Amino acid sequence: MHGPDVAWYLAVAAFLFATGTLGVLLRRSPLIVLLSLEIMLNGGNLALIAFARLHGDASGQIFALAVMAVAAAEVVVGLGLIVAIAQKRIDLDVDKLSFLRG
Amino acid sequence: MIVAAWICLVAPLAAALLITLLGTSISRRTAAYIATTSVLGSFVAALVVLAKLWGQSPDARSHSSTAWEWLTAGSFHVGLRILVDPLSVFMMLIVTGVGFLIVAYSIGYMDGEDEERRYFAYMALFVFSMLLLVQAGNFVILLAGWGLVGLSSYLLIGFWHERPAAVAAAKKAFIMNAVGDATMALAFFLLIQHHNTLNFPPALHVGPGHGWLVNLVALGLLGGAVAKSAQIPLQTWLPDAMEGPTPVSALIHAATMVTAGVYLIVRCHSIFEQAPRVEELAAGLGAGTLVVAGLIALVQTDIKRVIAYSTMSQIGYMFLGAGLGAYANAMFHLMTHAFFKALLFMAAGVVIHAIADEQDIRKLAGAGRLFPVTRIAFLIGSLALIGIPPFAGFFSKDPIIASDLAHGWYGDVLFAAALTGAFLTGLYTWRLFLIVFTGEPSAFVREHVHEHKREGPFWMMWPVVVLAVLSVIGGWIQFAPLWDPVSTWLDAVAPALVTPSDTQEAVASVLAVLLGLAGIGIAYLIYGSHRLAVPRIGWAQNLLEHKFYFDEAYDFAFYRPTVALAKGLGRWIEGPIIGGSIKELATGVREAGFGTGRLQTGLVRTYAFAIAASLAVITIVFVAVR
Repeated sequence: MHGPDVAWYLAVAAFLFATGTLGVLLRRSPLIVLLSLEIMLNGGNLALIAFARLHGDASGQIFALAVMAVAAAEVVVGLGLIVAIAQKRIDLDVDKLSFLRG
Repeated sequence: MIVAAWICLVAPLAAALLITLLGTSISRRTAAYIATTSVLGSFVAALVVLAKLWGQSPDARSHSSTAWEWLTAGSFHVGLRILVDPLSVFMMLIVTGVGFLIVAYSIGYMDGEDEERRYFAYMALFVFSMLLLVQAGNFVILLAGWGLVGLSSYLLIGFWHERPAAVAAAKKAFIMNAVGDATMALAFFLLIQHHNTLNFPPALHVGPGHGWLVNLVALGLLGGAVAKSAQIPLQTWLPDAMEGPTPVSALIHAATMVTAGVYLIVRCHSIFEQAPRVEELAAGLGAGTLVVAGLIALVQTDIKRVIAYSTMSQIGYMFLGAGLGAYANAMFHLMTHAFFKALLFMAAGVVIHAIADEQDIRKLAGAGRLFPVTRIAFLIGSLALIGIPPFAGFFSKDPIIASDLAHGWYGDVLFAAALTGAFLTGLYTWRLFLIVFTGEPSAFVREHVHEHKREGPFWMMWPVVVLAVLSVIGGWIQFAPLWDPVSTWLDAVAPALVTPSDTQEAVASVLAVLLGLAGIGIAYLIYGSHRLAVPRIGWAQNLLEHKFYFDEAYDFAFYRPTVALAKGLGRWIEGPIIGGSIKELATGVREAGFGTGRLQTGLVRTYAFAIAASLAVITIVFVAVR
C-alpha cells in the first residue's frame, strides 16, 4: 500500500459531507442547496472509493459510479424545478417555498 | 280457464303501471277510463272462469297454476302460484264486479280533482292487491296480497295528503294492519316448520295431534283477520279511514280490504276447525264487535262514520258465521253486504259531493228532498242493511243468526248478541236516514243546492242505480232452505259445520226482522215524529262518543310508554353515552390531526434537519451499542 492511511481519506470525506450538510441546512437559495447536496454525495463517494481501495474490491468504485449517475439525474430534475419556479417569478428562497405547511 | 284467471289478476296491475308510466301524457279522463276498463276486463275474465268451473263436476273444480318459482330455500319452494276454486272465484266476482262499479262512480266523484291520475292508479292497484289475496295459491302470495292491500289502503286513505287528519288516519290504518300482518307471518313460520310447504291445499291441513301448534297458527291467522276486517280489538283504524275520498271508503268496505279477514277464515277453515277454541273466539269477537259498533254508531254525527260502524257490525256477523262454521252463509252475507254497503256509501257520496264535501249529518239534515233518486237508493240500502224482506240483507243475515241457535249455550249468547245487533242496526240506520233524507232542508243545504239542479253526474248515478237494483234482487240468489246455490257452490271448499233446522231458521228470521222493525220504530218516534226525546245518560253518552275509549286505552297502553321510553333513552343513553362518546372521539381525532399537522412546516430545511439529526442519532446509537 502507498500513500496516506485510509483514515485521512475518511477524514476528508467526512469533512466534505459535513460541509454539504451545513450548506443544505443553512443556505436558503435552492441552487446552493442543490450544490451542497452534490458535495455531500461526493463525500460519500470518496469514502466508498477509499474503502474499495483498502479492501481491493471494485464493487465500491462501481457503486460510486452509480451514485454519480443518480446525482446527475437528480441535478437535472432539481435544476428543472428551479427554472420552473423562476419562470413563475417566485423568489428563489427555500423558506418561502412553504406551500405544503400543514 | 287458468289463462282467464291470470288475465283477471294482472289486468288491474297493468292499468296501474300504464297510468303511472304514461304520466301526464294522457288526460285525467283517459286515466280514469283505463282503470275502469281494466277492472271491467277483470270482471269479464272472472265470469269466464265461473262459467268454465260451472261446467265441471263439483269435486274437480280446484285448479292451480304456477307462473315461476319465486323463492327457494333448501327444500322449501314458493312459486308465484294462483289457486282457482269456487271460493276464490266467488271472491273474484265480488271484488271485480263491485269494484268496477265503484271505480266507474269515481269518474264522476273525482272529476276535476287534482292528481286524478294518481287516484286511479291507486284504485287499480287496490283491486289488483285484493285479487292477488283471494287468488293466492300459497300463503306467501296471500301475505303479499295482504300487505299490498294494506299499502293501497294507506295510499288511498291518505290521498288528500295535504290534510293532516287524512295522513294520520292513513298511518293508523297501516300500523293497525301491520300488527295483524306480523301475527300472520308468525303463523306462517310455524306452518313452514311443520309442513315445509305453504302451498294450498296441503298447508291448509294440519293433522290431528298438534294441539298447541294448530292453536298458535289459528291465533296468528285470526290476528291478521281481525286487523284487516276491523274487529275488536284492532278496529280503531276503520272509522278514521273515512278521511279518504268516499269511493275509497266504498271500495274498502264493500269490495276489498275488510272482507279479506272473512275470506281468510273461510279459506283456512280446516286449520280453524282443528282449533275449536280459537274458532269460538273468532265468533265471540264478531259478536262483540257487532254490538259495540252498533252502539257507537248511535251517537256518530258523521254520515260516513255511521256507515263505517255499520260495516264493522256487519263484518261482525260474518265473523260470527265463519267462526261457527257457517262458511257459505258468511260468504253470502259478504256478497250482499258488498252490494248494499257500496250503495250506501255511494248514495252518501252523491249528497256529500253536491253539498260542499260536508259530512256532518246535522248540517246535511233534510237533504233528501233535493235528491229523490239518491233518497230511494239510500232507502233500499238501509232496508237491506237492517235485513227487512225482500231486500238483500234479510236473506244473508238471518241464516247466520239462525246458525247461533245450533251451537249450544255459547251459541245462545251469540244469538242474543246478534239479535241486539239487529235491533241496533235498525235504530242507527233509520236515525241516519230520517235525519239526512227526510224533513225540511237545513239552511246549510239550501245554501249549497238549488232545487232544479241535477243530483249528480251520469257517472255517479248509474252505478248507484245498478247497486240499488242488486241490493233488491241480490239476496234472492239464495233463500235457505228453499234454494241454496251459494252453499252448494262453496260446500266443495268449505262444508258447513252447522245446519240450523227449519224451525230455528224461522224463529231467527222472525225475531231479527221484528227487532229490526222495532229499531226502525223507535228511531221514527225519536227522529221522525219527535214524540220521544233522545234519552240523556251522561256516562253512557260519554262512553259511546269516545268509542268505548279504545283509542285512549291504546294511547295509554302503547303510545305513551313508547314515547316515554324513547325520550328516556334519548335523554339518558343516546345523548350522554352514545352521542357523547362519539363527540369525544371526534374531538380527539381532530386534535391529533392538528397536532401532527403542525409538524408539516413546509420548510424544506426543517425536513433536512430532521433527516440529518435522526441519522446522527442512529449513528451514535449504532456506535454506542457496539
